[in-house]
Amino acid sequence: MKRREFIKSAFALSAFGTQIPIMALGRKNKLGRSVEWESDRIVVLIKLNGGNDGLNTIIPVQNDIYYNARPTLAISQNQALGIDDYNGFHPSLSAFHSLFQNEQMSLIHGVGYHQPNLSHFRSSDIWVTGSDANEYLQTGWIGRLLEQEYPDFPSNAPDHPLAIQFNSANLLEFKTSESNTGMMVFDPETMYYLINGNYIPGENDPALDTYGGLELDFIREVDLLSFEYAEVINETAAGGSNSIEYPETNLGYQMALTAQMISGGLQTPIYRIYQSGYDTHVDQGNTHNNLLSDLNNSISAFMQDLENQGLMDKVMIVTTSEFGRRYFENGSTGTDHGTAAPTMVFGNHLVPDLFGEQPSLSSLDQNNNLFIQHDFRQLYSSIITDWFGLDQNIANTVFGQEFESIPFIQTPLSIKQTPIPANFTMEPAFPNPFNPTTILSYTLPKNGNVTIRILDLRGRKIKTFRLGIKNAGKNKFILNGTQLASGTYIIQIDAIGSLLNQKITLLK
Amino acid sequence: MPLPSISRRNFLTGNHSDARPDLDRLNPSWPTKRVAKFVREHLEKQPPIYHPPKTDEIAPVIPGTNNTESLQEVNWDMGAAKHLLSRSMFGPKYPEIKESSENSMELELSSILSYQPLPDPPGDWVDEDAPQWDALTEDEILELLQQYRIRMKDLGYWWMKGMMRNPVNIQEMITLFWHNYFATAQSKVIFPQAMYQQNSVFRQYGLGNFKELLRQVTFAPAMIIWLDLYQSTREEPNENFARELLELFTMGVDTYSQDDIVEAARAFTGYLTNGVETNYNFEEGSGTGNWWTNKHDFGSKTFLGQTGHWNGDDIINIIMEQDATAIHICTRLYKWFVYQNVNETVVNEMANVLRNNNYNIATVLYFLFSTEHFYDENFRGSDIQNPVTLMQGLIRKCNMENFDFSISFFIHSQEFLGMLPLEPPDVSGWPGYRSWINSITLPVRKIQATSLITGQSPWGNFDMTTNVRALAQSMYNQNEEGYASEQIVKNLGFLFFGNPLSENLEERMLAVLLDGAEPYDWSINAPPNDPQWNRMKDLMIYIMRVPEFQLS
Repeated sequence: MKRREFIKSAFALSAFGTQIPIMALGRKNKLGRSVEWESDRIVVLIKLNGGNDGLNTIIPVQNDIYYNARPTLAISQNQALGIDDYNGFHPSLSAFHSLFQNEQMSLIHGVGYHQPNLSHFRSSDIWVTGSDANEYLQTGWIGRLLEQEYPDFPSNAPDHPLAIQFNSANLLEFKTSESNTGMMVFDPETMYYLINGNYIPGENDPALDTYGGLELDFIREVDLLSFEYAEVINETAAGGSNSIEYPETNLGYQMALTAQMISGGLQTPIYRIYQSGYDTHVDQGNTHNNLLSDLNNSISAFMQDLENQGLMDKVMIVTTSEFGRRYFENGSTGTDHGTAAPTMVFGNHLVPDLFGEQPSLSSLDQNNNLFIQHDFRQLYSSIITDWFGLDQNIANTVFGQEFESIPFIQTPLSIKQTPIPANFTMEPAFPNPFNPTTILSYTLPKNGNVTIRILDLRGRKIKTFRLGIKNAGKNKFILNGTQLASGTYIIQIDAIGSLLNQKITLLK
Repeated sequence: MPLPSISRRNFLTGNHSDARPDLDRLNPSWPTKRVAKFVREHLEKQPPIYHPPKTDEIAPVIPGTNNTESLQEVNWDMGAAKHLLSRSMFGPKYPEIKESSENSMELELSSILSYQPLPDPPGDWVDEDAPQWDALTEDEILELLQQYRIRMKDLGYWWMKGMMRNPVNIQEMITLFWHNYFATAQSKVIFPQAMYQQNSVFRQYGLGNFKELLRQVTFAPAMIIWLDLYQSTREEPNENFARELLELFTMGVDTYSQDDIVEAARAFTGYLTNGVETNYNFEEGSGTGNWWTNKHDFGSKTFLGQTGHWNGDDIINIIMEQDATAIHICTRLYKWFVYQNVNETVVNEMANVLRNNNYNIATVLYFLFSTEHFYDENFRGSDIQNPVTLMQGLIRKCNMENFDFSISFFIHSQEFLGMLPLEPPDVSGWPGYRSWINSITLPVRKIQATSLITGQSPWGNFDMTTNVRALAQSMYNQNEEGYASEQIVKNLGFLFFGNPLSENLEERMLAVLLDGAEPYDWSINAPPNDPQWNRMKDLMIYIMRVPEFQLS
């Protein structure tokens, strides 16, 4: 039983002495990420709670059905901030408009799932578990993802939390079969004082094999993990900073704190932030303006902050919502629960484009709702494979089936190979492990530019060799590791539009 | 280290719950549109109440005994008595547990389940008539609403005091159980009279016939307001009450159809309240007056296969004929008094006992509390105490129940821990169980507990702390073997932990108590100013900080 083992390992560590904080003894993965988790990339997921009105976020400026169905709520083409002939941003989203023009934003139309459920709770559960509409899962997609990367969690927990969720998050998204990978956070300094000041270190006898024992293990786990993580969260937050002011809103606070923790070096790969109030059944107009304006200002502040600190390259922001809303307004100048809606993505490595198109308002499902264009699990799958560079098999295991990526991430950090032309091959480096040189043989199907990169296990470039045009056929490259430290690296050949990777180990 | 000050605002900054169930469920026309507007404006200015997010995580099933025979007399010991008292009351003390174990179990059960008279009400206002809102000026309305809010706080304070001062009897615990079962929130009801009246119903009928309890709850002002029954009319029946009646109060999900809800909703039309009185006549089992004549749907309805001109009482009668009802009630009782993982065999037997004994709650509890199953070692220490049971029980165990804690100590601390009586998150009650414990609530639970020793809490200090000397003496027996220090450690572990005290923890606790001295250096009769009692305070704080303390 994993929780049992976790408690045992805590017991073993603390046996060194009751006064030594467990953190100081170190763990296998000092930097916080597993060897498999090779990237230092971060995704910040923002849930627009209540069901965001997609049609009033990305306006279908040419669609008469839209204008007829929303006599009071429609945003006119003049007000909308034009994207192209068919799409415009809500006027509150001026910063997004600039970000899009600045190639730091992608838009994905029609995200949802088939056989949509219009209950907030059920639809939210489908999104957080990553299930089909008629499937009831007890674990979250993030929980299952992290569980694959950290199969021993929590007994071999990394030093930094695997995921941070703000206060009253939906716990299910982070739930693994044995535990919960999410750490709930409020003001880090207060939190640290409260937790640290009330923690009792020391040996524990194993709990009994009774329900009483199982509940004791459960509480011991929360106790120990919050103790460890409160410290690292407080340290990183204290060591980090914000370079600009954020809106004084709940969302602004969450984003500022997230930036502060990233700035302080917290290695946590996934953050989940919440903005509430999107369930706009009544008098939607002003409410929605204010929500989007807060979103616009908070995200742009966050990006500017991280850009100023040179951190934006490793962060991507994704908005989600349990559903969109009906295309027609109701009798209370609001809109009722709908289905598919656009997702907005922000970052420096995106394909700045619209994926999919404005949904048809004439071809609707049996409940007069929009058809989906992208399954939400395609979005999550793209994050797993193209953003974090994890294997497609991992995404497949998370969702129980394969979902095609949506190609909105530029330079996918992908272990999953782009289609490799026949005859583009790489042989195993020889010798491997090596010291100080190793030979890499590769074959090109045609003449072309070749670049060879040495990456560390977290996907960061260490060295780049631009070799220029090489001939079709077999080629050799000799790598001299004199200037590299001992360790395992990824050697990557970039040629004729494809990438080949392999791991090499330098032993000095 | 000084305690950081926590306000509800800074505590919840970063909480996504500007989600406000309390605001969302306000009825814009209760008690009148004009008054409702003032109510909303006030509530909007209040910071949200912390409701720990619900987790569905549950322990795997561990097989234990299904034996529902009566516990053998030889097994009725201190441990068994502690288990029974911990589940059926707030904060049993060491001498009480000892005394119970020396009585027979049967005597103890009869005493715990005996009916207690109603306590004195929190004020004369409980009988105050509803105002004629339309006759009041704006200032008068605002003043009255302010008074109502103060009375509502007084009511919560009065109740929490009742819990910490409860005798060895189930009345306070069963009242909290029914409050969680028929969960009704004061912020929507608005009338403190109605909330008090509902609370009294739980006390008066909570151990008796379930059907009578259900009627008394259903046709009373609090419920008529809470689930919008007063707006349910022949022309526009409101399904809100009918749905919860079937799903949460009686039969449980998947035992009826949507059509049954629609038909039941038609039967529950024409009931009215002004916040204090209703148009319902309990003797006749029917509504009365013009509203009833005009707004009740007298037509034929088909509910659960039975057709007739049903009214609310008829629907309740049909529900009480269904097997599912007893199962549902006993499942809820089991989850509260035994454990979250339900043993269906035992619940089925409980349901039989309930059906065969005129749905008498005391009888089924007597049955449950006497079984081998209830006392199975499996369940010892398996209860993650809800914050109210934890705190009010702790105060009593520390002999501080007669100290005048401020209203804010009770109410504000529960706002942080997540269980403010009279303000459940929704009609299904508090999610409870593992949802109580997360990285936010756990440290706050520890701080709140240790404040009884230190006199300091983030929401105010107070000038009395636990008399640890008296506590030690209350659990010392000079005829028992071993040094007093060792005996005290063992007995504190027994009293404050649900799980058996492990050898290792016992050693650590003794080390804290002795602080380098030898066991014989510590004397039970040391004078009150002896520094050894400070070591015992350290030990109490230690006890309150270890995970074992959360379980009962």
